[in-house]
Amino acid sequence: MGDSNNTDQRQDYWSYVKRQFKKNKRAVISAYIVAVMALIAITADFLANEKPIVCTYKGHTYFPIFKEYAVDLGIAKWPKDLLNINWTDTKFDFAIRPIVPYSPTTQDFFNSGFVSPFAKQSVASTRWRHWLGTEGIGRDILAGLIHGTRIAFTVGIVSMSIASLIGILLGSLAGFFGDNRIKISRASMLMGFIFLYFAWFYAFGSRSYILSDAIGKSIVSFLGQLLISIGIFIGALFVGYASGFILKIIPFFRKKTAIPVDIIVQRLIEILVSIPRLFLIIAVIAISKPGIMLVMVIIGLTSWTEIARFIRAELLRVRSLEYIEASEALGYSRTRILLKHAIPNAISPVLITVAFGIAAAILIESSLSFLGLGVPPEIITWGKLLSLARGSASQLWVAIFPGVAIFLTVTLFNLIGEGLTDALDPRQKK
Amino acid sequence: MFKYIVKRILIFIPTLLVISLVTFMLSTSVPGDPVEQMLNSNSEMGSSANAIASERAYIDKRKQLGLDLPIFYFTLSNAATPNNMYEIPKKFHRQNLERLVDKYGNWSEIDQYYKNIRAFELKTGDTPRDSANGDALIIIKDNIQKTYLNYDGNALQTAFRNIEKEISKAPTLAALQPSFSTLESSYTDGVVKKATPYKKYIPALHWYGRDNQYHHWITKFFKGDFGISYQDGRPVKNVLWDAVRWTVMLSILSIILTYLIAIPLGILSAARKGSKRDQTISTFLFMLYSLPNFWVATLLILFFGGGDFLGWFPAYGVGELDSSMSLAEVAGTRVYHLILPMICFTYGGLAFLYRQMRGAMITTLSQDYIRTARAKGLEEKEVLWKHGFKNSLLPIITLFASVFPLAISGSIVIEIIFSIPGMGKLAYEALVARNYPIVYTVVMFSAILTLVGYLVADILYAVVDPRISYNKK
Repeated sequence: MGDSNNTDQRQDYWSYVKRQFKKNKRAVISAYIVAVMALIAITADFLANEKPIVCTYKGHTYFPIFKEYAVDLGIAKWPKDLLNINWTDTKFDFAIRPIVPYSPTTQDFFNSGFVSPFAKQSVASTRWRHWLGTEGIGRDILAGLIHGTRIAFTVGIVSMSIASLIGILLGSLAGFFGDNRIKISRASMLMGFIFLYFAWFYAFGSRSYILSDAIGKSIVSFLGQLLISIGIFIGALFVGYASGFILKIIPFFRKKTAIPVDIIVQRLIEILVSIPRLFLIIAVIAISKPGIMLVMVIIGLTSWTEIARFIRAELLRVRSLEYIEASEALGYSRTRILLKHAIPNAISPVLITVAFGIAAAILIESSLSFLGLGVPPEIITWGKLLSLARGSASQLWVAIFPGVAIFLTVTLFNLIGEGLTDALDPRQKK
Repeated sequence: MFKYIVKRILIFIPTLLVISLVTFMLSTSVPGDPVEQMLNSNSEMGSSANAIASERAYIDKRKQLGLDLPIFYFTLSNAATPNNMYEIPKKFHRQNLERLVDKYGNWSEIDQYYKNIRAFELKTGDTPRDSANGDALIIIKDNIQKTYLNYDGNALQTAFRNIEKEISKAPTLAALQPSFSTLESSYTDGVVKKATPYKKYIPALHWYGRDNQYHHWITKFFKGDFGISYQDGRPVKNVLWDAVRWTVMLSILSIILTYLIAIPLGILSAARKGSKRDQTISTFLFMLYSLPNFWVATLLILFFGGGDFLGWFPAYGVGELDSSMSLAEVAGTRVYHLILPMICFTYGGLAFLYRQMRGAMITTLSQDYIRTARAKGLEEKEVLWKHGFKNSLLPIITLFASVFPLAISGSIVIEIIFSIPGMGKLAYEALVARNYPIVYTVVMFSAILTLVGYLVADILYAVVDPRISYNKK
């Protein structure tokens, strides 16, 4: 690998990858731009908001945007003066407004009906100009774009986190254990199988309405209920597995059989890959209530296959390496070898898939909102803005700006993925 | 090799079965009642004769569609749920009764309560309408519907109180009182008081045997009978055939186009790797690859499709055909309509195929035999096309097999935007309209095509490159 005489360069793997990545100028620039966009996503509320950052109203000074966070969290209430206020029209004694003084949902009635960015706008001053124009009911395009960044990034990150979690778990199980390395006794297998039914029944069957009502309430309460269900499920399975010892009195049940983890995971991947993905997502969204969280979860649940395949292939290679044999000889447990020695050495290709996956997830989310699926009406996304351009030809700016935003983000993540491919793939090394 | 193919095909079957199960279960949990949607008339407000007639129509339609059977071979439910729940015709009623069962766990009482609501509904329908009781009757019927659709105690009590109030308003409605009292007492004294909620924690397994919806569908499917489309009553086979033609035509044309453009570009790039030309082509195609196809479609329509800018092409549809048109005219109309969607279909795959070709070519060109060919004085052109091209075809050929199923199913958005009556649009619309037979069939066909595509790819690998063997484990 590296030159051992070269002492001023650190030789561990990740700094090597970093150096390789930095050789790819396009990828590095992309990474910087993505960082800036991430900053925009985080601070979106302070960049485009109808509420001022600071304002003095009837002798009191307020910080309305911070106040809104507090109200949303339920730890504060709006003061009476500000409760039913029209933020854009009210004359404050003193106010510092965000750069774009509109929220994505603010309707500017004087500039409704697709006002072009170059047209004469009926605004008080240049400060209030709609720099990227408005759409049909007078919402500011720039504000929509800024807040859309947040949605796009959240979708990319959340869905790929879910996908990585599942992909790494299943992929490493399949790759490391293969078809014949996990062995359990017939007794435990039988009891586990029987208790699978009970586990399902008590965790999900008899709690199905609790779970579905929780989805309707809020995503937090749903996750809470889901955790309880998963707890019950695992508990019941464990009871089943443990109760296998009674059966072990009979010699037949004492015999160990292998669980074909690899076959199971491979089939699972095959099934998921065979159903058209967008179609599957649309089908699930049709069943449930619209919600941005749901879109993220579904994209995540359907995009882990590539990660699993990568990790499986890597682990197949890694597990036959000498150092794994050595740690086996030292008597370390399988789990420890897998978690501490095998996965860390196989995980780098996943980064590539994640970068491309974020791009794909953002694309899927925007196609869905372009079709008007999944995302509730009050949330403005890039895809939804773009869909407003359909129908009439005089709304060019509505089509251009969100499209550029999607294109740019997707390209950046793809370029980062490229750079990572070059940096991580030793065959490309010069 | 033969053994390998047989083995792969055998593995298909369980995979396909699981896919069929997934689609089936997804479809049955979609909200909305297909029967109601088909009949499209919900005359609950009419007289009892009317109500009975419409219910008859509902039950007949349901039977005709085969929806009156149990869904699957068995249910894993609890002791509180009866095993003949599926016999209750209306889906909304059934869902509400399931909720009641989940809450109170005493089916016999709930069943009685449900029958009492129906009796009361019929009785209300029979009451002649006059100027004195007209409004009251409407409110009562409205509240009867609420009892069908609510399981929450408070909501039900409100409905009961409303009915009670209206009954006392007009003397002609007094005849309804006994029937109403039975209804209310069957709820308060029966369902609520005799609740056995613990029963839902006792697991129960109901076995229905082969006479179920899934079994009928899957056996018919493998016999080639895909059922009847709910929307227009045509056989799914015909509906699907009409759609498949468009998608397959578009896919094949766009794949051919992709290959024709991407392969030469890939070779040109690889021949002078790292040159300005290589970089320009790479960057350009890479950007194309990241362009969202729905954006390109929107822009193309804005600029070239019937808009204010350059109305060169039609914005949507595949063109009206006239019986007097000659073959050339027919082809002309089609091509004219399909140019824009074709562009959207093609450009995305270009970058992908180009990269594969370039990569394969670069690998080939770094082989020893290429150096030998150059050393013995062959012309660069000959080296490139005769030795290089031929030997880098392997990944390109095999890609065809895996690109094909993708092209079939991956066209939902484009087909919707350009309203091309292909598989994607059909599937999307069927899903929205809960037209299950079409949904099942489309998903199954996409799955089969995908699986076959992968198999063909694997076989092609072995055919093109004899070094690959599938026989050893």
